[in-house]
Amino acid sequence: MTELERSLRLLGDAVAFPEAPDVSEAVQRRLEGLRPERRRPRRRTLVLSFAVVALAIGAAMAVPPARTAILDFFGLRGATVQRVESLPTVPTEPAPGSELLLGEPLPVEDERLLVPAALGRPDAAYAAEEDYGLRLTLVYGPGDGVPRSEYTGVGILVTEFDGAIDTRYLDKMVDADTSVEQLTIGGNRALWLEGGPHFVVFRTESGDIGEDVGRLAGNTLLLEHEGTLLRIEGQIDRARAIEIAESLERD
Amino acid sequence: MGDRPLAEDDRVALAKQGDTRAYGTLVEEHQSIAFRTAYLITGSAADAEDAVQEAFVKAYRALGRFRQGAPFRPWLLSIVANEARNRRRSAGRRERLALRVAEDPLSGGAVPSPEAALLDAELREELLAAVNDLREDDRLAIACRYFLGLSEEETAATLGWRRGTVKSRTSRTLDRLRERMEVER
Repeated sequence: MTELERSLRLLGDAVAFPEAPDVSEAVQRRLEGLRPERRRPRRRTLVLSFAVVALAIGAAMAVPPARTAILDFFGLRGATVQRVESLPTVPTEPAPGSELLLGEPLPVEDERLLVPAALGRPDAAYAAEEDYGLRLTLVYGPGDGVPRSEYTGVGILVTEFDGAIDTRYLDKMVDADTSVEQLTIGGNRALWLEGGPHFVVFRTESGDIGEDVGRLAGNTLLLEHEGTLLRIEGQIDRARAIEIAESLERD
Repeated sequence: MGDRPLAEDDRVALAKQGDTRAYGTLVEEHQSIAFRTAYLITGSAADAEDAVQEAFVKAYRALGRFRQGAPFRPWLLSIVANEARNRRRSAGRRERLALRVAEDPLSGGAVPSPEAALLDAELREELLAAVNDLREDDRLAIACRYFLGLSEEETAATLGWRRGTVKSRTSRTLDRLRERMEVER
């Protein structure tokens, strides 16, 4: 240990942390009637594309027109992409890795994960129980020709949305700098977004924007796979994204 | 539970079965470091307390997903850090917490240990000011490693970074601190 490191340790002893409150009783009270959850069954809700499109238009119209004039519109089950004249103000700073809402860590061998064999085992995996269902996230660090994304702070981020995305759904707004291409990968519909940053939000039916999930994203492939909506994000090109998508398998 | 405290693995296994008393011993053991971790992120004692309480409840419910035999503390701290970030975000708090040195035992903060008193008071203030001026992620890395005494691996799990990231960020930040301290000396 260097002298500086020793000094930092000593300094740590002198830092005025507030006294830690005893939360054990409060926690015990809240645990009454709770049990650790067993693995839950996968929820599958098939939402017809046109229903989502109608819902999405409704939600989009709820946004003040002065802010977003919708010029174009693409639909994918559970996800929509809107082309707007200008992106709304991002409520969060372009996120470093630590700012991503990732949920609770889970073992990368978790059977619920769809893992792209082209990328191998993720460096970390997370699960978050959201109002619309389960969200799983795979994190791959930069390396192997994949740079650190300025938006996510990691190399490649794979997000999997399971189940009922019928009241809240993933929504992407793109501006004129971003190209949107419709693809078919392994018989499944997909969208490739490339170029400028996209704004990723979750919206409620009423058009409210989930305040804690708005953030910018880089090149992104959105696709459906076995009833799951996936988002593959990173500074990668279209060919690499397709290769990753084609290699998806249930672990 | 018997007279002798059970090993952590055993208590985790019991808690997984729904033994809240066994889980309670884990809460007691880890709540202090959990609070400091949350406080570093939220910058508010009240938010940190909420985050810690919520994290302990969430961790209990998620125990089914915890890999038996893995260390409990980094897993717990990652949930704590996540809750703390959510709270800071929803509070819309952008201003930074400036850590300060506990000078006065009556201030309610930690009393400096005799060892800490060995660190020259002036140097202490300068070093803490330098740490406070760091970018948020760099400051968190330094605080987790040296103020909380977390290992590289634990810091990585807590902050959701790769271990290599913790290593390189810590080393870069130490260089920067060293340069600044040399300039000021």
